[in-house]
Amino acid sequence: MAKDKDIIDGCLSGSRRDQELLYRRYSPKLYAVCLQYAGNTEEARDVLQEGFIKIFENLSHFSHEGSFEGWMRRIIVNTALERYRNRYYLNRVDDIDEVTEPEAEPDTDDFAGLEAFDLLNMIMELPPKYRVVFNLYAIEGYSHKEVGEMLGISEGTSKSNLSRAREILQKKVMILTGVTKRMVNV
Amino acid sequence: MFEREPNIDIVFRNGLKNLEVLPPADVWDSIPPMPMKQSRLRIISGIAAGVAAMVSLTLLVSWFVRNNSTPVLLSEVTVPGSDLRDVSIDIAKAAPVTRPAEAKTVNFTATTTPSEPAGLSDMEAMEDIPPELTASADLPEQDGPTGEPLKLFSDEITIINAGRFDGADENLKTTLPDLKGAKTEKRFLLGASLSPAMGFSRSGEDVRLAELINSEKSRPAYTTGVSVAYRISDRLSIQSGIGLSSIGQTISDVAVYAGLSDYYSVKSSYLYSVETASGLILAGNTDLYLTGTRDRVGTLIPVNMADPSKYKLTQVGSDIQQIFRYLELPVMLRYKLIDRKVGLNVSGGVAYGFLVDNSAYTGEGSDLIRVGHTEGVSNVNLSSQLGFGMEYNISRKIIFSLEPMFRYYVTPISDISGSLYKPYSVGFTSGFFFKF
Repeated sequence: MAKDKDIIDGCLSGSRRDQELLYRRYSPKLYAVCLQYAGNTEEARDVLQEGFIKIFENLSHFSHEGSFEGWMRRIIVNTALERYRNRYYLNRVDDIDEVTEPEAEPDTDDFAGLEAFDLLNMIMELPPKYRVVFNLYAIEGYSHKEVGEMLGISEGTSKSNLSRAREILQKKVMILTGVTKRMVNV
Repeated sequence: MFEREPNIDIVFRNGLKNLEVLPPADVWDSIPPMPMKQSRLRIISGIAAGVAAMVSLTLLVSWFVRNNSTPVLLSEVTVPGSDLRDVSIDIAKAAPVTRPAEAKTVNFTATTTPSEPAGLSDMEAMEDIPPELTASADLPEQDGPTGEPLKLFSDEITIINAGRFDGADENLKTTLPDLKGAKTEKRFLLGASLSPAMGFSRSGEDVRLAELINSEKSRPAYTTGVSVAYRISDRLSIQSGIGLSSIGQTISDVAVYAGLSDYYSVKSSYLYSVETASGLILAGNTDLYLTGTRDRVGTLIPVNMADPSKYKLTQVGSDIQQIFRYLELPVMLRYKLIDRKVGLNVSGGVAYGFLVDNSAYTGEGSDLIRVGHTEGVSNVNLSSQLGFGMEYNISRKIIFSLEPMFRYYVTPISDISGSLYKPYSVGFTSGFFFKF
């Protein structure tokens, strides 16, 4: 299998074949990311397309020092955020300082039966403002301050949106797995 | 206190970490090819073109320097006599010119008495020659037998703008036709030319390319510019210069509407793409709505938005015109098959083209609307040219040239890897050249 560096060099020299090879290799993973953020397949398709155009346009700037997949993932996430900001900037919620944490949550073992597609569907069903905060905080690992800056919201709003997202997801998980017992954090 | 991460975050993060979902098949087709980084071959081609231009410039400069710093020398002074014998003057033994001054070209008129052998007894400038152009030297008596030609050599005499030949028995008026000498060759030609042409396309064995080309019509092409030629020999010359060439094509199966920005606005450098044989047109004009047949037109607009019946749009064009203009540096060799007043010649060479304009328009006449540009077009290309033409010597210094010219693009127009799109054209190059 060709190395990433060889494919990148091929892309930079104008080889359409290498561009397609790069796309075929990484588009399934990146499309999953698009679905996480977009919420529907049409939007995800557009994010993937726009994202790959940016990847190819900026390929010469990739320094080969970090993870190439991580670099592409950041571009895809930024593309999704850009579209989110354009689309939902009018629907910003007011800051909510009071954050309510769920009283209890299931243990990780209780999710054993869940498939990745189930998890993806749960995220896609979240309202956009909860979904994007959950993705950025819980999946990508950004802090509330960073999330706030990226979305143009306050830290408090980020926290409350995250809290609400967790609450919704937890209920969905419990329904799906049939978990009724209440687990207490240790 | 360390805040423990909720289990649900971990579960989602780990569960989605390796998730892969196959995207829709048409996404890849909507991604335009990325422009190619300049390859080493292209850089070398560019350098070669630059060298060709430098050689032309150097030849021009060398000619200029030579003609402005070297004194005019008499190669031979011939005094035609009425007895049809040429009378030449050898002044090798002449006394040196006593009043050096700026050298100039002077025409003298000389006459000889028919009954007398020509000799250098006296020689003076014609009456219409200004006094400052009169040369003077002390010439010895003729050494050779009477009637034997006397010769002047270019390294033995310099015409100066002051002085006087004297010491002769009789006045001798003589004409020295063209003291620079008929043998001084005009090796340089400078000219301007215009070459209208019709372009054609070749698709090779690429089925998709052939399908695209079928609905693309070449636009009239032209090349215009200035040329400098240097005669290497009587029949062979090398020619270079600088020119501007334009080629293009019309894509006829695309309809263009204006007014989309009233209904759809997005932060994107383009909304539509149109696949063509020479690359992908990216419609940077986001006010335009494009639709077409043959699956040419791609769009970033979501499918549910791309319904023209929802909008009140005005059709502004029924085709798209792609235009590429190149700054060209040709290097041509020309060989004269017939070297007469009306001559024939063959020529061949290459031209390096540097892309200076890449535009796509719709509409007609003065109502042209810019659609965008074509992505993937080579910034540098190389074309070969072959001509067989006629030259007509209007005068000793001016030539009119008319030459059917065949041109073939050696490198593809498009940067897209594997593209075989190499147009060719047939046209007439006509122009005027000035010898110097």
